[in-house]
Amino acid sequence: MSGREFFLNRYRELGWKHEQPKLRQAIRINTANTGREEVIRRLESRGIKLEKISFVEDGYWIREAKFSVGVTSEYLLGLYSIQEAAAQIPATLFNELKGKIVLDACAAPGGKTVQLADLMQNTGAIIALDVDKRRTIALTNHLERCRVKNAIVYQLDARQASRLGLKFDCILLDVPCSGNFTAGDDWFTRRTIEDVERNAKVQKEILTEAVKVLRDDGELIYATCSLEPEEDELHIDWAVKNLGLETEKIDCYGREAATSVFGKRLDDSVANGRRMWPGQTQGFFVCKFRKREAE
Amino acid sequence: MIKPITDFAKQFNASLNWDERLIVWKENRYFLITGNMKRLLNEDFFYAGTYLGKVKSEQFFPSFSLLQMISEQQTNKVYVDRKSAWLFICGRDIFKRGIVRAEGAKSEGSCILVLNEFGECLGFGRLVCGLDREEGAVAVKNISDIGDFLRREEHR
Repeated sequence: MSGREFFLNRYRELGWKHEQPKLRQAIRINTANTGREEVIRRLESRGIKLEKISFVEDGYWIREAKFSVGVTSEYLLGLYSIQEAAAQIPATLFNELKGKIVLDACAAPGGKTVQLADLMQNTGAIIALDVDKRRTIALTNHLERCRVKNAIVYQLDARQASRLGLKFDCILLDVPCSGNFTAGDDWFTRRTIEDVERNAKVQKEILTEAVKVLRDDGELIYATCSLEPEEDELHIDWAVKNLGLETEKIDCYGREAATSVFGKRLDDSVANGRRMWPGQTQGFFVCKFRKREAE
Repeated sequence: MIKPITDFAKQFNASLNWDERLIVWKENRYFLITGNMKRLLNEDFFYAGTYLGKVKSEQFFPSFSLLQMISEQQTNKVYVDRKSAWLFICGRDIFKRGIVRAEGAKSEGSCILVLNEFGECLGFGRLVCGLDREEGAVAVKNISDIGDFLRREEHR
């Protein structure tokens, strides 16, 4: 089961009518390295016009640029990162990050790891994992460019995080997922529901492992760039019912997550998740968890 | 253990006074970490804290973070104009007319850091002609510059 109509029908059932998204490139200013005004002034002097993204503190849309924003000296000096607008949301949902021990379990290519370091002002420590060596190297290049000082990187499968023998105050799970069609129209021909199910299985395993290494009072953010409920709402429902987690209300861009999926009624608390249909941003899903207090 | 780093810094007339216990070594690479990170560090780590550089064929190759740290001291450095800064990042050498200001050693053969108009370190090179000379084409021969981050991407 695959194809454009197959997937668009599913999205219609979830209450979204397909519209061609108007994606714009976005950057995030690395405030650990510089001031916002300084970067804006320097980029504008190069003819790069920016527009503030209303829903993320350090994010800006690229309104106009005569050349790639990935080849300026400011970029190479780590003063900003190129980071899709919706992808800038998850790291901002933790209550307090300074001085904390944070796990970024599927970290490459490192956009969110750098953002975490920024929010932590390089205090505490980030343990960043990725299973793939090439991607791990890309992650470390990103950390080096952005002058991150508080990350420890392991080439390790997130499903083996407990091997590190650590407990974490905060965990970011930006899990590997099926992606969405904003990456290119061939997405519809490349993806099948079997791919989605395969990814969903891995995501469940990662979520299960993450709960083992989360401190009792810790926070866990789960995020995907998938629009498929098997990778989003159904996991939240399953985690609430099986992993001793509870969702927490978050105040961010996006719609409430669905609590009725293809005829299946989910736990009401799943609505605390946020679903971002493609539009200004790519498709995205995010949910915040805490461990349920023992009764 | 950190001799390759301190020897490298000496070439710029800089000295580094670090707590050696916070320098960790993995394969041929050096990292500077915090005490808190040291408690969390497992021997299988791939990268940690601030990358300082690597030793290859008995030669030390500095990271750009290390160069930035050295540049914050009183060292051999030149500040260059915007056009020269961009050409340097593209791997080109620095012409004398692009140098706005120079500090530290100005004699031929010295290692020298290259900074932009904002005082940010873009890399380093070697002086190929004394800066007190009037004319001269190339003044600083590029050895390493931050454009390397893009070149690494291209190689991947």
